[in-house]
Amino acid sequence: MDRLQAPEENYANPKTCFFHVLFKAAALAFYILSALFVDNFVIIFVLTVFLAALDFWVVKNVSGRILVGLRWWNEINDQGESIWKFECLDQESLSRMNKKDSWLFWWTLYLTAAAWILLAIFSLIRFQADYLLVVGVCLTLSIANIIGFTKCRKDAKKQIQQFAQQTIASRVSSTIQSAFSVV
Amino acid sequence: MPYGDTIPLHASSQSDIDEIENLINASIQSGPATVHPTRPLSPPRASIPVSSPFVASEISPQAYQKPPLVPPGVPPPASAAHRQNVGGGVGFGASPNTLTEPVWDTVKRDLSRIISNLKLVVFPNPNREDPGKALRDWDLWGPFFFIIFLGLTLSWSASVKKSEVFAVAFAVLAAGAVILTLNVLLLGGHIIFFQSLSLLGYCLFPLDAGAVICMLKNNAIIKLVVVSITLVWSSWAAYPFISAAVGPRRKALALYPVFLMYISVGFLIIAID
Repeated sequence: MDRLQAPEENYANPKTCFFHVLFKAAALAFYILSALFVDNFVIIFVLTVFLAALDFWVVKNVSGRILVGLRWWNEINDQGESIWKFECLDQESLSRMNKKDSWLFWWTLYLTAAAWILLAIFSLIRFQADYLLVVGVCLTLSIANIIGFTKCRKDAKKQIQQFAQQTIASRVSSTIQSAFSVV
Repeated sequence: MPYGDTIPLHASSQSDIDEIENLINASIQSGPATVHPTRPLSPPRASIPVSSPFVASEISPQAYQKPPLVPPGVPPPASAAHRQNVGGGVGFGASPNTLTEPVWDTVKRDLSRIISNLKLVVFPNPNREDPGKALRDWDLWGPFFFIIFLGLTLSWSASVKKSEVFAVAFAVLAAGAVILTLNVLLLGGHIIFFQSLSLLGYCLFPLDAGAVICMLKNNAIIKLVVVSITLVWSSWAAYPFISAAVGPRRKALALYPVFLMYISVGFLIIAID
């Protein structure tokens, strides 16, 4: 029994979870530690922003798909208007997603944004405009991902509700029909 | 049972083992992050495989013909249903399995998009009849690299105050791109915010090349000549997109700030000692 239950309690995609956390943690750690040890602002800026951009890409394209089955993007249609699209996996797949995976996904997103906000406050207090630039860029990337995936999740929930309503409606109608046919 | 190498196998079981090995190899090659597509995507969604960070819209047609790499565990009825969904719910003709595609595919798609955007924007292109349509799949990776590269080059060429030079260059370019975009939008132009940001970033490519040359040769006259040439090239690259976006009476109002920004970047390149 334990063997059957244990895999459900572990992460279903440990490598993806690892990468999801890796770049966030690396960007934060590098920024905090390098402000203490490295004197060269340019290197701090470039590496932190590069790690944050990599993290944005990984979350948006890899871990969003795999850990929570959501995806968002922007399209420009033929009339030249920009449309934001939100996509999610099927209901059964969504319900089959590992709870631990999605818990990790959402919590690290929120925690990283909170950490960057804290660092922004620190650099504001110290009147360091150039470090504020770095923090600002990283914060923008984190918040963009949070907004995108939250909208995606709301969209997914709406879809689930519609699906449930449709299923109920179809079941009710088929029951009624079978009742009538019997009568 | 010990490993199969040493035991002579029956003929049919050998072929079975080969088949299983091929399946395993195929799944290993498709990358560590493949997800089993347990069910096809919900039908009426147009799923576009987009993946660069600030995302683009259309994928070039050759990406579509590539069959999606599905892990071998998918049962045949599900893949048949996949194909049905392709016919039913596809907007731009994209492959529907982008929610379950391997990571390497995403990376390759992004890289090819960056290169195609660069070619479209910067280099003389006879196919550029409709500039508004040309940058449909905008992406911000290219501009990001170019801005950072320009900042790094300027900072490297500077003998003093390297950090300030970098910060100023980055801030000026980033804020300048945003403000120029707002300018076009406020003039009643029809351009998408991110599209314009992407365009202005890609048009920095000639200035990047000019900055590298100026870094290598510190002669004032050469710098002047090189910067003028690259400046004209950048402005020439940006001109059709911006002028197509605004009405004819407002073209100069929209284009002048763009030239101004590139000229100031050019001065920055020349003046760095």
